Amino acid sequence: MSAAPGPDQLTLPPLAPVTDDPDTGGFFAAAADGQVALRYCTDCGGLLHLPRAYCSHCGSWNTGYRIVAPRARVYSWTVVEHQIHPAYPVPYTVALVELAEEPTARLVSFLPGRPELYAGQELHAWFEPLADGGTLVQWRPAAGQGGELR
Amino acid sequence: MSKTGWQPGACAIAGIGTTDFTRNSGRSDLSLATQAVLAALEDAGLDASAIDGIIRCDMDLVRHNDLAEALGIRQLTYWGECGPGGVAPCAMVGQAVGAILSGQASTVVVFRALNGRSGRRYGAGSTAAGQQLAGGNGSYDEFFLPHGLLTAGQMFALMARRHMIEYSSTQEQLGSIAIACRDRALVNPAAQMYGRPLAMTDYLSARMISEPLRLFDFCLETDGAAAVVVTGTERARDCKNGAALIHAVAQASVPGTQPGVMFPVLMRDSITALSSRAVADVLWSRSRLGPADVDVAQLYDCFTITLLLQLEDYGFAKRGEGGAFAADGGIGLTGQLPCNTSGGHLSEAYIHGMNHVVEAVRQVRGTSTAQVPGAEVSLVTSAPPPASSALILTADR
Repeated sequence: MSAAPGPDQLTLPPLAPVTDDPDTGGFFAAAADGQVALRYCTDCGGLLHLPRAYCSHCGSWNTGYRIVAPRARVYSWTVVEHQIHPAYPVPYTVALVELAEEPTARLVSFLPGRPELYAGQELHAWFEPLADGGTLVQWRPAAGQGGELR
Repeated sequence: MSKTGWQPGACAIAGIGTTDFTRNSGRSDLSLATQAVLAALEDAGLDASAIDGIIRCDMDLVRHNDLAEALGIRQLTYWGECGPGGVAPCAMVGQAVGAILSGQASTVVVFRALNGRSGRRYGAGSTAAGQQLAGGNGSYDEFFLPHGLLTAGQMFALMARRHMIEYSSTQEQLGSIAIACRDRALVNPAAQMYGRPLAMTDYLSARMISEPLRLFDFCLETDGAAAVVVTGTERARDCKNGAALIHAVAQASVPGTQPGVMFPVLMRDSITALSSRAVADVLWSRSRLGPADVDVAQLYDCFTITLLLQLEDYGFAKRGEGGAFAADGGIGLTGQLPCNTSGGHLSEAYIHGMNHVVEAVRQVRGTSTAQVPGAEVSLVTSAPPPASSALILTADR
């Protein structure tokens, strides 16, 4: 239903994440290895999401990344119909997901078009390497529908 | 608040002023700020020489010294800023009170100016043209922007969808909020949407921006400014239009507030309750008032859903019932809580919460174009993300 992409839309890559931030870089290092990892306190086990270096639960600076299962559920979503940025031609969908093993940890995902989604729907992670560097953790319905192509 | 040195009504708003609200002012942000402050001084019957304090919003392009120079203020003894963005206005008034009660200033101007349509358009998101990288430096944008989550509207759409999931709220309920604000603007000649009625069929047939939010779920973009003059109540009583008493002000964050500027609030335990739930607790406690005592409210309405969520956060409606409250006429002029009587951000102008403070003063003065008869307790909110502030004004009778 959408208009054909213009020339700019075909050439602009998506925004790449900063991957060397001292607090959040571990998430993207894991993504580059094809894994979903969250930051935890190594002393008390408290989850630190979004990631930071100091554990507010127990006061420890001993924190690091731990791999979690690459499964999630749909928490909310929006179908973007009004284009904001040439690298993101509409329509597309932004899903807010809660991780299966850590329901209090959420991430967002790009999905092409207007996929049929529902709250609680199971999603699996896939890993999108960007041409300019960096890897995004994206999510798609478990059955595999919903292509990874942008 | 007496324990902290705060006295309800010790300070007051003595003057209010705005510019015209347009899509292309042709003026600098500084000229807009100057014009609004001059209008507020005229309204109070004060000269610029009376000002010794200025409070700005962190997103304003106008600094305190810019404004002091433009107005010919001889000496400031206090300045400060609040933010981020729309969180600021009520907190700015609170900071002015703090400066006055601590003796650091006697008469403080609180202002917000922006060319929000012809200049920087917040609806365009924060990404710069040609930008390749997103995030870092504590912004946490790396978790959001690369996935196509680019604007506040898209984030509030996620909140609206979640509210629909949890409570079966409807698009028509959101539409009733847009229409209520429009109805107030229809009698406000200063409003950008003056004379332009909005029916439910118009709302529902408008284009989708970020589903489930449509065009009229989004606020306006405005070139303009608004300002108020805060001073001690005795001095305000000598001013031309008297004193709008500052009864209570509150800022508050929630546990698990999350870092960053905007999108990380999606990581909080709930996205259908905002930080305003915490502000409400502090505000009601400090003011010794409750939702039933409020005669009229100017609730921050960057989007319809923002107003809906605050109806629940402040206790005007039960959790999950904000949509029904609005759709049943609760926010109308004769409803339980008349809201956004100038038209709000949705239909008067988007001055980032500052026009809401101005309208709240009009209500306790009895001079609104959509006056609530006998209004004595007037609530204003300056809203999330990522935190909120709120203000209760009372009539000086």
